Amino acid sequence: MNEDLNENILSILQKMLPLLSSIVVLLSAYIPVGVPLLNNVRPDFGLICVYFWVLHRPDLFNLFSIVFLGILDMAVSSALPGASLFAYLMMYVLIYNTQRFFNAKPFVVIWYGFIALSLVTLLAKWLVVSIYYSRFLPLSMLILGYLIGVALYPLVSMILAFIQNKFIQDEGL
Amino acid sequence: MIKQAFRVKEIDGNFFMKRRRSLFLHLNQLRLLAKKFALVILFLAALILMLLNKNHSLILDQTSGAVTKIAAPVVGVLVVPAKLLGRGYDYFSELSRIKSDNQSLRAENKKLRLLQDKYRALEIENKLLSDLLNYVPLPSAGFMSARVVAEENNAFSHSMVAYVNDGNAEKGDAVLSAGGIVGRVDKVIDGYAKIILITDINSKIPVMIENSRVRGVLSGDNTMEPKLIFVPLDAKVNIGDKIVTSGVSGVFPAGLPVGQVSAVSKREIKVKPLTALEQLEYVKIVKYGLGGLINSQEEKRRE
Repeated sequence: MNEDLNENILSILQKMLPLLSSIVVLLSAYIPVGVPLLNNVRPDFGLICVYFWVLHRPDLFNLFSIVFLGILDMAVSSALPGASLFAYLMMYVLIYNTQRFFNAKPFVVIWYGFIALSLVTLLAKWLVVSIYYSRFLPLSMLILGYLIGVALYPLVSMILAFIQNKFIQDEGL
Repeated sequence: MIKQAFRVKEIDGNFFMKRRRSLFLHLNQLRLLAKKFALVILFLAALILMLLNKNHSLILDQTSGAVTKIAAPVVGVLVVPAKLLGRGYDYFSELSRIKSDNQSLRAENKKLRLLQDKYRALEIENKLLSDLLNYVPLPSAGFMSARVVAEENNAFSHSMVAYVNDGNAEKGDAVLSAGGIVGRVDKVIDGYAKIILITDINSKIPVMIENSRVRGVLSGDNTMEPKLIFVPLDAKVNIGDKIVTSGVSGVFPAGLPVGQVSAVSKREIKVKPLTALEQLEYVKIVKYGLGGLINSQEEKRRE
C-alpha cells in the first residue's frame, strides 16, 4: 500500500519536473549577480524552458505549464502583465507547427531553431508592448538580451537535458 | 452460399472498422479543435491582462501579489550561490583598482574635511536664519534599509524586489542609494517591496536642473539613461549639469540628487543616474510623509 503511494508520488513528481525545473530556471534570471553586463541585459530564461520542454516533452509540458510559467513571470516581473504569457504562447504555437522538422535532429539544428523562433517571439512581444506604450522600446537591449539568451541556450538546455535523462522515466508515462 | 456468408461478414467487418475510424477521427478533430480554441482563449487572456493593467485592476494586483509572495523567498534562496559568484568576480576586479582608489580617496578625504567645516558653519547659520524667519521645516523622514533580492533589467522593464520584512514601506515611498534617487516603491506584498527604477518606462519624476532651476520631467524608457522631457525650448542645458528632484507633485521632496546630463541633442536630453542601478545590494526606503499624487490616486481607486 505504502509502496504504491510512494510510486504514485514519485510518478507525479516526475511528471511535474519539467514545470518545476522551469520555475527554478525562470526565477534564477532575477538573481542579482553583480556583473554589470548580465545585470543590465537579462536573457529570457522562460523562453528557453518553453522551447526545450515543448520540443522534447510535449506530453509533460502542456498549455497549463505555459500559463503557470507566464503568470509566475508576470508576478515577479514589473513588465507589462500578460506580455510574457503572450510570448510563451507564441513560442508554443511556433514549435507546435514546426515540431516535425526538429524531430530526431542533432543539437545544432535544434539550437538554430531556437535562434530563429526566439527572435520571432521576442520581436512579436516587443511589438505588442511597444503598441501598448505607444512608443518603441529600446531594440538594442532586446537584441543584446536575445544574443545572451542564444549564447546561454546550450548551457541551460544541458541542465534541462540532464534532468530529463536522469530523473524522468518514459515507463508508465 | 458459404462464400456469400463470408462476403457479408467481410463487408460488415469493413463497415464496423469504417465506423470506428470515423468516430476516432471525430474525437481527434474535437480534441484539435478544443486545443485550438484553448490557444485562442489564452492569447485573448494575455491581451486582456495587458488592457487590465491600463485600468490598474485590483484583481490583477491581488493575483500578482499572491504569486510574488511565493516566488520572492525562492529567489531569496537562489541568491546565495549567485552572491558567492558575484563576490568572487568583485574580488578580482577590485584588486586591480585598489592602489589608484586609495590615492584618490586620500585626496577626496582632504577635500571632505574642508567641506565638513564649511557645512558645520552653514548649518549653524541656517538654524539662526530659520529661527529669525520662523520657518516651519518639512516633517523629518523615516527610513529603513532593505536588501535587494531580485532584479530585472531588460528591454521590457527595469525593477527590483527588496526585502523589507515588517517595516512599514508603502506605495510611493522614495528609494535611495548613497548616490541619490533610485526609484519608488510600486507595491508591498508581505515583506517584499517591488521597486520601479528611474530607468523604467513607467517612471516619471518631476526634476529640475540644479544650477538653472529649469524644470522638467525625468522619463524612463527602459534604457540605462532616462530622458529629460518637458524642458522649455529656450532652456540652456549642458552636459554635466546636475539633475535634482523639483518637489512638484509631492511624491519626492525637492533637492534630492537624481543624475547628470550625459547627452544633449535636438531630439532629446539624456540623463545618467548617479548610482549604478545594476549593482545595488542594499537600498534605503525613505518615507517623507508627503503622500502626494500617488496616495490620492490610490484612494480614488479604492473608492
